[in-house]
Amino acid sequence: MEKVILIDAGVKELDFSLAAGERLSLILLILPANASVAAPASVSSAPESLTLPVRVRLDGAGADFRLHALCLCSGREKVSVRVQLEHRVPDASSQQLIRCIAGGESRVTFDGLIKVHPGAIRTEAFQASNNILLSEKAKVLTSPQLEIYADDVKCSHGATTGTLDEDEQFYMRSRGITLEQARQLQLRSFVWPVLEAVSDEKLRDELDERVRHALARL
Amino acid sequence: MQTLLEIHDLHAGIAGKEILKGIDLTIRAGEIHAVMGPNGAGKSTLGAILTGKPQYEVTGGSVLFKGQDLLSMSPEERSWAGIFLSFQYPIDIPGVSISNFLKTALSCRRKARGLPELTPSEFIALRKEKMALLQMKPEFLKRDVNVGFSGGEKKRGEIFQMAMLDPDLSILDETDSGLDVDALRIVAEGVNRLHTPKKASIVITHYQRLLDYIVPDYVHILKDGRILKTAGRELVAEIEEKGYEGF
Repeated sequence: MEKVILIDAGVKELDFSLAAGERLSLILLILPANASVAAPASVSSAPESLTLPVRVRLDGAGADFRLHALCLCSGREKVSVRVQLEHRVPDASSQQLIRCIAGGESRVTFDGLIKVHPGAIRTEAFQASNNILLSEKAKVLTSPQLEIYADDVKCSHGATTGTLDEDEQFYMRSRGITLEQARQLQLRSFVWPVLEAVSDEKLRDELDERVRHALARL
Repeated sequence: MQTLLEIHDLHAGIAGKEILKGIDLTIRAGEIHAVMGPNGAGKSTLGAILTGKPQYEVTGGSVLFKGQDLLSMSPEERSWAGIFLSFQYPIDIPGVSISNFLKTALSCRRKARGLPELTPSEFIALRKEKMALLQMKPEFLKRDVNVGFSGGEKKRGEIFQMAMLDPDLSILDETDSGLDVDALRIVAEGVNRLHTPKKASIVITHYQRLLDYIVPDYVHILKDGRILKTAGRELVAEIEEKGYEGF
């Protein structure tokens, strides 16, 4: 099953339990409220403050969970996402990719806990969190955590935070691409792995359009 | 012949360290200039300065391109004016296909020059023509810019981009490094076929190898940030014999 959720103030929490053999691909998008194509730029951006707990339990062998999350902030937003993933049985797998672009004076916190319960052998759990800061005042705090109480598991997590690469920008500019266009290409390539996870092509195109508009205003 | 580039007493460096210590160089349309020198002579710095790489600072002198002050232009403006640098170490851009990259580059350039965008069929025809020149396969366009490319593919990709952008002054920075003999020949033939009496090239190289294929009109020896000697193509053989130590 695939679920695509555009997070707004109405979404208070997410909670899933996966039974044996069940698969869930969860795609979360936290976009500025003015990212819709029609909305004028003056519409105030996303909920100023957003706290989103995401709890996922893998309760049956062969369960497979995928998370792709994208968060774009450019104003004074305070966004906090806490993912708590529990591997409670053997032979389940999970993969998470969280990508965040923070500009303006936004604050983004991402806490990702992967807990592998005693006996949950042959668990495979991977998590990557990548962040780009667009301004000196923006902050991203990312704290991945692994709690492993079983042997014979494959688990990893990685977090990176950086700015847009200037060597890439110079390379593009030397080919006549303006600095602004170069930034847009970089931002789009950064968010693409999340959008790519949307399997319905029509929906993906719609979301892509919204994301483009949001990126153009970052 | 039209003068394309005039460099006068150029001093430049990076992080407070002077690397170019007074360069004078004039390049006219139709000419191919080789800049040769040992490692650390300032060859790549010259390319970086001419294309406006951030971090590098010009501390003295002037550079005119087609009579305009080049040093006051942004890197993209220099590209629009007709300058191209083939990078010694081309940069990977994950997530951006060659096709999209070049479409964006051409679109920015045409907009800056007040020209309408190429239609999709014009773009496809153009890239097909230029790919044939470099003997490249269509799959190449779908790959991300320089990601996972072999040394030869990177350099061929650079010359393909050069062909697409059709510059008046091409600077080839160590284009021969990392190329086997077949790739070297394809790249050099591509460069030669793109050369016209209206265009000029600066070929920056350490070795004679590339100059067996791209024959220069002038050869300059750059050492310790200065041009020590300028002569015709016969200088290449002299360097090969004496080494840079002999100058």
